[in-house]
Amino acid sequence: MVGVFLLLVGIPYGITSPSNVSRVVLSPVFWPSILAGLMVLIGLGLIASSVALKPAPPPEAAPIPAERGSWARLAAMAVLMVLYLFAIPRIGMVWASIPAFIAVGLLVRTQHRVISVVAAICVPLVLYAFFVHVAGVSIPQGHYVRLP
Amino acid sequence: MSFADNVLAGLALVANLESILALAVGICVGVVAGAIPGLSATMAVALTLPFTFALAPLTGILLLLGVYKGGIFGGSIPAILIKTPGTPASSATILDGAPMAAQGKAGKALGMALYASCTADLISNLSLILFAGWLASFALNFGPPEFFTLMVFSLTIIAGVSGESLMKGVLAAILGLFLATIGLDLVYGTDRFVLGEPNLMGGLNFIAVLIGLFAIPEILTMIFLPREAGGQKRELGGNWVTFAEYKSCFRTIVRGSFIGVLLGSIPGIGAAPAAFLSYSEARRNSPNKENFGKGEMEGVAASEAGNNGVAGATLIPLLALGIPGDVITAIIIGAFMIHGLQPGPMMFVSNVDLIYGLLIGLVMSSVILLGVGSVAIRAFRFVADIPRGVLFPGVLILCVYGGYAVNNSVFDVGVMFAMGWVGFMMLRFGIPAAPFLIAFILGPLLENNFRQAMLMSDGSPGILFRGPITWFFWALTLITITTVIRSGLKARAARRKLHGSDFANHRRGTP
Repeated sequence: MVGVFLLLVGIPYGITSPSNVSRVVLSPVFWPSILAGLMVLIGLGLIASSVALKPAPPPEAAPIPAERGSWARLAAMAVLMVLYLFAIPRIGMVWASIPAFIAVGLLVRTQHRVISVVAAICVPLVLYAFFVHVAGVSIPQGHYVRLP
Repeated sequence: MSFADNVLAGLALVANLESILALAVGICVGVVAGAIPGLSATMAVALTLPFTFALAPLTGILLLLGVYKGGIFGGSIPAILIKTPGTPASSATILDGAPMAAQGKAGKALGMALYASCTADLISNLSLILFAGWLASFALNFGPPEFFTLMVFSLTIIAGVSGESLMKGVLAAILGLFLATIGLDLVYGTDRFVLGEPNLMGGLNFIAVLIGLFAIPEILTMIFLPREAGGQKRELGGNWVTFAEYKSCFRTIVRGSFIGVLLGSIPGIGAAPAAFLSYSEARRNSPNKENFGKGEMEGVAASEAGNNGVAGATLIPLLALGIPGDVITAIIIGAFMIHGLQPGPMMFVSNVDLIYGLLIGLVMSSVILLGVGSVAIRAFRFVADIPRGVLFPGVLILCVYGGYAVNNSVFDVGVMFAMGWVGFMMLRFGIPAAPFLIAFILGPLLENNFRQAMLMSDGSPGILFRGPITWFFWALTLITITTVIRSGLKARAARRKLHGSDFANHRRGTP
């Protein structure tokens, strides 16, 4: 379905192709079109093979079964990622990382809460010091509290 | 001057405390930088470059080469311990290193990574000394059609890392190839899936995709099922690699080293494809091929031998022809120029003592890497002992800093998060991530060389069969595909037989 969508919508609308292309193999759409076509073929192959032979999935390939609250925790992580991303340029990477660290610690049900909070403060600060003062990377500082 | 005179002149230059110290410091810096995801060996070499201005030419260049070699090995430490490759070159090490760490054999995996790295490094350096001239002339024969056929052959690696379903592996590879098309078109400069976002014009950042695909799904899996996915912390394990184990992997290491040497001598390929090709060849030839991807020590040895085999060989085109083989050697060529040296054939005439000093320094670096690496493994064992409630949030924060640091871009952090969810979904649906990543790495090389070849021939596909090198790679590709299809059919027949006997047993009422 992804392949068909790309062939019908994604490639025609997502790729700008100049009108003076001399050879079809040189066109910007040629390579993506080949890949989308292959995607459709493989998709059909997967459907055909699943219809023809239905082997029991090997134990290691079986998806991890969900438990109560699994999906809620994943949804919370998705929200956390969006908020984290939104907060980095506004309050700075260090200050955004501290609550994110604590929140992820809670989501993985940490039993070392004190260590987790101490690490939540220390790890972003140490990484900041390393990246800014040793590696020379300009880490976002945000609009409010600036670090040396 | 004879060969012996040249070696003695080089030895006189390099046999001093300053040069040895420069190598050792460089290797230490490289190992630490390589072990931090996002801070690649390239970045570490670039950051060290200004420190070489005040040093003597040989000392400065040895410092940079130390960083380079240390960085390539350092990348394997987080790849094994936290399933996050420190450098793109160590992506293949994850495939068996991380499962070994999960089984409590991180010590063995790290030890084998170190021994394979040092052996491959030594072989690569000796090859540089012995075959520089010959390999440089061979590499000069590679044009876009030869590169294209080499990339097509390299894509057959996918068969080896697809796990249970080849179809799913191929699907993942096509998705990876597709994602690699994002950005400006090479020939016409028009937009491809840029969707008006200037950050996408240069394509997706490789490091962001890599970290997102391998590290973030681990965190998401832990959040999804905290107890099941990793209730106990990963132990380094008390067992180190024995001589018998090293000996059993020696053939694989030597093979991987020569693959690295061959690919390293060709400008523009880099260490990651060499690692994957070495891994694939090791799997193809191993009696334990079923165990590859599930924690096979030979897999770790092959990957590390492949990527470290490149390290010395990338200097072949640099020293012999003055052509940088990759980004790192491009930075190193800058260091030569800063000191008023121009790498190339003339340097073998005017500065032959410096060349031999450099070569002897490189051989010494393999021994220093062994010492520094052993210490680094013991130092990083603390990573393996951190409780999950601190380790996983720490990995996330490290990923964010690392993902940002590559291009100073918050957008890359977003790409990393998005790829994390893609990786998690692939994990849920049993689609392997390794083919996706291999295709994403090789995709631009494959397409660009194909289109350059088509431009050269005015659209005629005949150019893809123009000489013995292209024929050689087409033949290898054909042989590999035939072997894959044959083994696939055999496996299918065996599965049918098994299903048949299960069905018969079921009808008889026996288990």
